[in-house]
Amino acid sequence: MEIRLIAPGEEELCNQFQNRIYGKERSLEQWHWDFVANNYDRTPIPYAVVSDGGRIAGTQAFIPIRMIDSDGVYWTAKSEETLVDPDYRGQKLFEKMYAVLFDYAREHEFAWIWGFTPATKAFVRLDFTVPDRTEQLFMPFSSRSIPVMMAKSLGGKKPRPVHRLKIAAARTGCLAAQALSSIKASSGRKRAIADIDIRTMEKADEQTGDLCRRFIANFGGTTIYRDAKYLEWRLYNNPYCGSVVRALYKDDKLLGYVAFALGDDGMGYLVDLLVPGDDTRYATEDLVRMLLLEAVYGTRNMGATGIRGWRVNNHPFDKLIGRIAGQIGFYHIRRGYDVVLYNCEAGQKRAVHGEFDQWYVSRIFTEGVLG
Amino acid sequence: MHPRQVEYLKKQIANHIALFFQPRAADLFESGMVRFLPLGQAVKLREKAIAIPFDIPVSDNQGEPYSVELNRTRLTFSNPLPMPSGGGWNPLPNESTPLWYANDAGTLIPAWNLFGTLFHLLTFGEERGSTQRDGHGRFAASFSPRVKGDLLEVPAFNEAVAAIVAACAGLAENGRPAYDLDGLVKPPVMVLSHDCDELKGNDRWTQMVRVARIILPLFKFKLPGLDNLWWIIRNAFTPRRFYFDNATGMLDLERSFGYTSTYYLLNGSGGRFGARSKLAVSAELAGIIPPGWDLGIHYNYDTFSNDQRFEAQLDQLQAAIGSKPVVGRAHYLKFDPAKSFAFWRRFGIYVDESSGYADRIGYRNGIAGCFQVYDPDSNQPLDIRELPMTIMDTTLVRQYGEGAIAKFSQLLFHLSRVGGAMSVVFHPGQFFNPEHKAMLGVYHKMLIECRRQGAVSETARSLVDRVR
Repeated sequence: MEIRLIAPGEEELCNQFQNRIYGKERSLEQWHWDFVANNYDRTPIPYAVVSDGGRIAGTQAFIPIRMIDSDGVYWTAKSEETLVDPDYRGQKLFEKMYAVLFDYAREHEFAWIWGFTPATKAFVRLDFTVPDRTEQLFMPFSSRSIPVMMAKSLGGKKPRPVHRLKIAAARTGCLAAQALSSIKASSGRKRAIADIDIRTMEKADEQTGDLCRRFIANFGGTTIYRDAKYLEWRLYNNPYCGSVVRALYKDDKLLGYVAFALGDDGMGYLVDLLVPGDDTRYATEDLVRMLLLEAVYGTRNMGATGIRGWRVNNHPFDKLIGRIAGQIGFYHIRRGYDVVLYNCEAGQKRAVHGEFDQWYVSRIFTEGVLG
Repeated sequence: MHPRQVEYLKKQIANHIALFFQPRAADLFESGMVRFLPLGQAVKLREKAIAIPFDIPVSDNQGEPYSVELNRTRLTFSNPLPMPSGGGWNPLPNESTPLWYANDAGTLIPAWNLFGTLFHLLTFGEERGSTQRDGHGRFAASFSPRVKGDLLEVPAFNEAVAAIVAACAGLAENGRPAYDLDGLVKPPVMVLSHDCDELKGNDRWTQMVRVARIILPLFKFKLPGLDNLWWIIRNAFTPRRFYFDNATGMLDLERSFGYTSTYYLLNGSGGRFGARSKLAVSAELAGIIPPGWDLGIHYNYDTFSNDQRFEAQLDQLQAAIGSKPVVGRAHYLKFDPAKSFAFWRRFGIYVDESSGYADRIGYRNGIAGCFQVYDPDSNQPLDIRELPMTIMDTTLVRQYGEGAIAKFSQLLFHLSRVGGAMSVVFHPGQFFNPEHKAMLGVYHKMLIECRRQGAVSETARSLVDRVR
């Protein structure tokens, strides 16, 4: 059995392995987008495999992602493709694949390794911390959004009568929640600022990199460095589900943007929202409200049954979004995945070392399958 | 057979190959391997070539359709031909379902009336030879002789071209026709469009229809359709909801898939069969359609063969959107294949998407793609291209119910194997409107299927411009 980085020609095997175990239909194009076509142009790619006589028995990968803090832009790694063939369990293959990737992270000076998972135990054994968990912001447009929201608890199984009753009750309650949300959103719409242009960003604006720098200068902490190249890859060339990006401009100066998508499950997703908050002419709250409403009405008109986004930690911008979202009819649902975080050597000298509350996290941190 | 008819069909095949196949397929077709000949000469040919007889009349009796496997799909043929008399001819791939008749020298003759069938379909032969018309004066799908053999969903033109290309590739490689198109066919093309008949749900006619839905059941001693009361009230207060808003939502949805579409705007006279929204609303929509998408004219019902009204509608729309529409589709698909194309061309239209059915989905001209319209009376091609509409939103769902997406997927898969473009129309009011529950999410699911099958998107005009 060999445990090493992926060799040329093994891409299809790795993808087939994932599809076989998870029962998915991910295409090779989608695999390629995730692990090869991302913004990290070094080879070999950080994709570890367990190869047993040519058979793939385990995978563990990184998607290298640049983040930004007050010290500047730096590389981190998002943990993906964690999977060991059930026939090979109990052989510490996960740990052994990670050993290969830890070396890679050290060599390439990744500051952190992070990810979102419902199964944290294996990561904790590798000295990952679990600093927080993702939570949801949710606004229903229709009671049909409830089965989608509750689908995860079913784990793909056929609902039992008790579960059906729960869904029916939740759908009934949803009607009232929906009406209240609708009223709140309508009143929020009246507060739009008239002299700001709302445009659809048909391709990534070169100003977005600067927007991130201004964001960090104003709010502090760290977040993904969303320059035009990153957005082009993550939002526009996403082969799973592309996003619509709506931006606010004043005299061609980018004031902020929101990215939203309609997932294949019919749910709308608030993928990302960024306002640097340094414009003295407009209150940041008003800009955030305008962008949130663009996402709400945009996804609703696309046929979404509801819209959901992330509410994660105590970063000031995350808290601001949570507050404005509540005002315009979103509900806060305390369900989500655990965050796992590993502090690499290169991260120890960074300004935000060890403080997850300083991370501004949105759904743009996800793999992008639902937008 | 007029020589121009032969040149015409040859040109349509060449254009089709240029659009939906890799350049190597075009080279093979243009290499001189494919000959169009009278039957008498075709059967005498003794060289590695495909001889397509062009002088066999199309029979009213199409014969029993049969299918042949090619490129991991099944092609369906009608109008079968007997094997040429005399020795040396063999049916391929087999005797019971032949695709070709081959002689010892490697000459191939199609085992069905390829030329006659395709020319008949592209020139609206079925409807020109029939007097049957529905209440709107249209040739409905149910009048087509192909409905009996379940052939309306067979893209006969695409299948014939796929068979020719595969045969050419095989002949060039080993002297025998091939039955696959490895690396020769391009991904299927989706041509999406939206007929913007009504952009607000509170117009008099729509509200009256809802009132009728409440009252009419009473005359049949049934419960009144009281749910319509809700839609009357709802759209009275929020007229754009599920109409104009849907039009913008479809735009965003297509954007997120990397697809584009054509918005056909209906203006001119109002009324039950006329424009139900004011011109200003259409102009507002036109203002938000970004580059890459297209705007066309939805010919008003009362402009049918009426110069004055058509010109007035066109002028009015041009003034409202700031450019002259050159693509169009007839409202209610009301047109006369013998007269309408020349009529539209006179007003500058050069791409039309009217040739479809309202009562069934299907390929009205047997083609999933575009073709130049031919006038059999003057034996001249016209300078206007038709891209027949294959699927209308409600028709698909009415016909196939819960199996609608599966049927769409099946048709698209077939095109991915034989090459072609599928034209789909989705009305904003049907896109995502709880008043029409069966339609909820259908368009989104169709686009998901398109993405899954690797379909690419073109507007009718962008597709035609590639070969015009």
